[in-house]
Amino acid sequence: MESSDGEAVDKRRVHLRPVTLRDPAPVLLHLLPCEVLVNRPAPVGLFFTPAIRQGPDGLEVSFRGRSLRGEEVVVPPGLVGYVMIEEKGEVLLGKQDFSEGMADDEQEERELVEPPEALERDFDRFIGATASFSSFTLWGLETIPGPDAKVRGALTWPSLAAAIHAQVPED
Amino acid sequence: MAAGVDCGEGASARQHVFLVPDTACFYRLTDCGNSALEYLKEASKKMKSGLMFVKLVNPRSGEGVSYLFNMCLPQLFEIKVFKEKNHSWFINESVQSGGLLHFATPMDPLFLLLHYLIKADREGKFQPLDQVVMDDMFPNCILLLKLPELEKLLQHVTEEKEIDKKKYYKYSKEKTLKWLEKKVNQTMAALKTNNVNVGARVQSTAFFSGDPLSSDKEEDYIRYAHGLISEYIPKELSDDLSKYLKLPEPPASVPNPPSKVAAQRQKRDK
Repeated sequence: MESSDGEAVDKRRVHLRPVTLRDPAPVLLHLLPCEVLVNRPAPVGLFFTPAIRQGPDGLEVSFRGRSLRGEEVVVPPGLVGYVMIEEKGEVLLGKQDFSEGMADDEQEERELVEPPEALERDFDRFIGATASFSSFTLWGLETIPGPDAKVRGALTWPSLAAAIHAQVPED
Repeated sequence: MAAGVDCGEGASARQHVFLVPDTACFYRLTDCGNSALEYLKEASKKMKSGLMFVKLVNPRSGEGVSYLFNMCLPQLFEIKVFKEKNHSWFINESVQSGGLLHFATPMDPLFLLLHYLIKADREGKFQPLDQVVMDDMFPNCILLLKLPELEKLLQHVTEEKEIDKKKYYKYSKEKTLKWLEKKVNQTMAALKTNNVNVGARVQSTAFFSGDPLSSDKEEDYIRYAHGLISEYIPKELSDDLSKYLKLPEPPASVPNPPSKVAAQRQKRDK
């Protein structure tokens, strides 16, 4: 945690590229019950996906010799799943992208309307969606994660958050 | 922290798995005239940098956490991260360690404004909002001033004065407690209507003693809702709220309900 003494002032904003949210390709997602300590390409379609079978208790597969059981979990209604990747040091490129599809006069108009301090600054960073999903496969070791699984609890959070943050009625 | 492992050579950029309200990414759906889809396409084409992640204060802890702002709506979203030991993602043809699942959910900006109003109240006088919402540590807090209907929101927690058409505000604890009581009540209602989900969660926290589906222990619901709301207000105010709601002191061994996304706030290692 960096909140204690001497924390750097964090002015940075990470802009989400709106164009990338438009028609992102669907993605196949699996949540595994084990930690793989790397982030890198993996031949999932060669070893994992073709080995998935429909068994009597849901989906079956094995990973590193261990037996996994899983099922499809649907994203709660009203939500969209996105996979996002942060970009590195492409600020200028980013600015061009944002004005893409904007007519010249529109752009001029916008610049006039824009407040003196712009939302987007040189030191800001960018993040973009690479893919979207409406469900993922949840895997457990030997058995399907039950109703008490933490991830299932987490998926109910948005409906509770809506109640906590809804405006209260006036007196 | 495993998710923070830098993978060295051959590693790919970290991929973030996000759940976002489908309305958050574009303009308000209700503004659509004829074809919603066409409208969205047009809107997203025209939209400049409307959506952004910024670091702002967590009103409970005072630490910096990431929020999502949509400047086009404008609307504030809280980011929570599901994180549990021993999980990873397969994302198409790649592996992503950590198994983190990020949630963006709409947040009542009044909790954040309250943080600043309480701070400013030490000076004990009426102040214009732009002098209240100031933060050397998190200068992006000025974005809060762009949110719609702030004046209406502030009525719930402040006394106000108008001088020369400029509004001045002062924190009112009395009004705030009334407002928080309403928040607790509407959260309780949601806990009850979401019965199944609540049941599962409650069992896992061992917070309620009995089966919440069969019991109607109003007190337990109030305390649980109080715990949820308390994540958005300073400890001191949470204690005052507890007294205001006439909540009995919980047995010392029972902890407050943990964060509902059994997880931590947005990772802070950026």
